Amino acid sequence: MADMSKFADIDIDSGIVKRAAAGDARAHEIIYRAFSAPVYSICLRFTKVPAHAEDLVQETFIEIMRSIAKFRGEAALGSWIRRIAVTKALMFLRSAWTKRGQMLTDDWHDVTEGDALSHGVSRHPDDALDLDAALASLSDVSRTVVWLHDVEGFTHKEIAGFMGKTESFSKSQLSRAYQRLRPMLEVQEDGKQPEGAAISY
Amino acid sequence: MSGNKKDDEMICALTAEEHAALQTGLNALPDTMPPRVVWQRIREQAEAEGLIAAKDTRRRSVWYMGAGLAAAALVAAVMLPMLLQNSVESLPTVPENVGTIAPVPLNTLQTLMTESRDLESNLRALPDAPRVQRASTLATISDIEDRIAAIDYQLNDPGVQMSPEDTELFWRERVRLMKSLLQLRYAQAQRAAF
Repeated sequence: MADMSKFADIDIDSGIVKRAAAGDARAHEIIYRAFSAPVYSICLRFTKVPAHAEDLVQETFIEIMRSIAKFRGEAALGSWIRRIAVTKALMFLRSAWTKRGQMLTDDWHDVTEGDALSHGVSRHPDDALDLDAALASLSDVSRTVVWLHDVEGFTHKEIAGFMGKTESFSKSQLSRAYQRLRPMLEVQEDGKQPEGAAISY
Repeated sequence: MSGNKKDDEMICALTAEEHAALQTGLNALPDTMPPRVVWQRIREQAEAEGLIAAKDTRRRSVWYMGAGLAAAALVAAVMLPMLLQNSVESLPTVPENVGTIAPVPLNTLQTLMTESRDLESNLRALPDAPRVQRASTLATISDIEDRIAAIDYQLNDPGVQMSPEDTELFWRERVRLMKSLLQLRYAQAQRAAF
């Protein structure tokens, strides 16, 4: 797995990790300061609700404190933390889906293309706000699969494992998400957006 | 990116160019910091579960231990001459360094402090940050500054008694972060110059 994730860019002195494993609160605070933003961001992307994301950050870092003594350093600390955060966030989503009486299947039809465009999504591929809105307009499952695959760098096998589904499920979700995102990614040779594609707020 | 060609072949909905644009865009989305109160909540839960030492208890115990040592040293200083005066000549000679604390290995620490000061000075020498900045760079800089501030807070908190090893560890981390910050700010200044 090639790691493009922001978690991979964060480096912590192994001495700090050892201190944390011994229960040192100051070392844990340093780890928290280093990783809280990416952990919170991933939880927020998955849940879209700040209060849920905050709870998940808390659960993630408590889990880190419980388990860091078992961390052997074979993988990067960031990868280890990311896996905990992703697992917590997906457990929450599965629980939320279950509570809503929905199966963890394709809830694709929750949002139509028209909905996405009406959310103010333009076709500028470089516009972070538009891309953020486009991502948010996807269903929970599709958004999660896109993020895990294209940002966190997980394979379909890994995503399937996280979600308790098959690889085909992950591939199909990704493919359909791409179809929905595609109109926003059209790159013209002159660099201009396609006519009539700009959607005003 | 998975890098798995087979996976990519399965996903035909995007061209390679579109896929690259999507990945670049997604990876450039800035991170969001959680509210400050979240760490407080984590700390409280961790202390309640005994995962980390309770802050106040630790400080108090360190204070008690320090006070106890000081009292013992005072008693020894007052009583020892009296004991020596009145007592038997066969008492063993008291070594000069009794009661003194093991010396702190200042060399490494001093080096780190000096290095940190030099980095601060280099940072100040750079031109001010440009008015228009990349969101991702700004977020990274802000994140590193937060981490440095958290370390400074620990190093300067009079209520925290750190062992020499802890102090050195924290200074080393500070230097490492300062280097990252300087590199980012330098790159930012270079971009602004062109």
